[in-house]
Amino acid sequence: MNGHPTREEDFDLYALGALEGDEKAAIGNHVATCSSCAEKLAEARGRLALLALAVPAVTPSPSVTTRLMNQVRSEKQGATRAPAVSPVPDTTGGLFGRWWAAVLVPVGFALALASFVLWTQNRRLDQQLAVLHEDMQREQQQLQSAREVADLINARDTMIVPLAPQPGMPKGSAHVMYNAKMGMLMYEGQLEPNPANKSYQLWIVPTQGNPISAGVFNAASTETDHFLMKLPPGIAPKAFAVTLEPAGGRPAPTGPMVLVGAAS
Amino acid sequence: MRKLGCIRFAAIAQKALRNKQSGAIRGTSLPRTSREPLEQVSSETELRASDAALMARMVQRDEAALEALYDRYAGLLSSVLNRILRDTQAAEEILQDIFYQLWRTASQFDASRGSLPGWLMVIARNRAISRLRHHNPAAGEELFENTLVLLPMSLESAITQKELMGRVKGAMEALPKEQRAAVELAYFEGLTHSEIAERTGDPLGTVKTRLRTALETLKRAMHP
Repeated sequence: MNGHPTREEDFDLYALGALEGDEKAAIGNHVATCSSCAEKLAEARGRLALLALAVPAVTPSPSVTTRLMNQVRSEKQGATRAPAVSPVPDTTGGLFGRWWAAVLVPVGFALALASFVLWTQNRRLDQQLAVLHEDMQREQQQLQSAREVADLINARDTMIVPLAPQPGMPKGSAHVMYNAKMGMLMYEGQLEPNPANKSYQLWIVPTQGNPISAGVFNAASTETDHFLMKLPPGIAPKAFAVTLEPAGGRPAPTGPMVLVGAAS
Repeated sequence: MRKLGCIRFAAIAQKALRNKQSGAIRGTSLPRTSREPLEQVSSETELRASDAALMARMVQRDEAALEALYDRYAGLLSSVLNRILRDTQAAEEILQDIFYQLWRTASQFDASRGSLPGWLMVIARNRAISRLRHHNPAAGEELFENTLVLLPMSLESAITQKELMGRVKGAMEALPKEQRAAVELAYFEGLTHSEIAERTGDPLGTVKTRLRTALETLKRAMHP
């Protein structure tokens, strides 16, 4: 190929791996020397990578994290591992100058040493067992929570509501992901840090009745805040709002509205 | 939280749980609008750094940064690995291997040369297809090799992921059946034009047209 690929889809087909033979070689050779086409190919790779989002969500087993972190820690320990313990000194020199002492003393010493080693090992194994048990419980909890979040995200009737800042209020933006049937809500947003004696509070404004608190949080500068809430199922929302309340929040909104978004 | 990923989704839940356990966040009791007691899964703020910041911390051997990136993107990668391989054990082996390699080669990452999740997804697909087709998975598989991948948007936000997921799924479902099948054979099985033609029994020219048309349609749908 002397010039640029004539059709934009050529980049997608190349990134996809569908091209063969001369077609493949021509584009491969061209992008190696043409920066603008190399960028188009990079964009095609990005577009195609997004097709991964079309597949059903599969949450990896928590054991993968455990194995990964063990692998990482092993590597780090390997880099700083101390030399092996020195061998036990030879004590057969005969403390009392008698033959039986020459035998019994080292044997006794060896037994004491073996007992100590076994006791230490036993203690370490107990500790490891306790840690593993704790890890297992934590992983089970994590898996359950992860499934709930994945269900929320994948549910077709989950709504996403953008929350817009209000004039004169702290700047920021946020989204709420809410599924009334599941009673699950996830907040994600960025807000200016709240004053020390105040907290932000998220509210569901139902179609009927008073606003319902959906979480109290403190914003950290430049960071995105996230949280997940489980609520009674079936609350039909009219809107979502964030207000600035006294620290710790209030059962009903008392402060100014900082962000608001109508549920559609 | 994606990964939600559902990538980062697991992360969100995990971190929310940690927050709850640490008591760092507090939820407020709801008014008695229901007889059911409210169960608060979590209510504390979760701090989250950008991908680039986490990669920088990984260079300093910060394990928490690796965990954060894993939480953010493992779900996404796991989904595509399982779709391609249809073998949970093999998918998890590759998933672990990719993140371990990310840990070891973090210093080679250059944010100006592309998006981290883009790289991760490209490498995950390549490795899964290599395994599926019994190719040598190690061949040319440096994580930050000279492969530039530009994503049209950041995937750090769970909301963005959710919105995009809906858009991509919708676009795929809207394709005519034959076009969708051609895309799936190419993307998830790594088949070339002629291999697809052989598999489906359709003429090569027809396969080429279908794939090209499908990619055009998907491009328009993902970037309206």
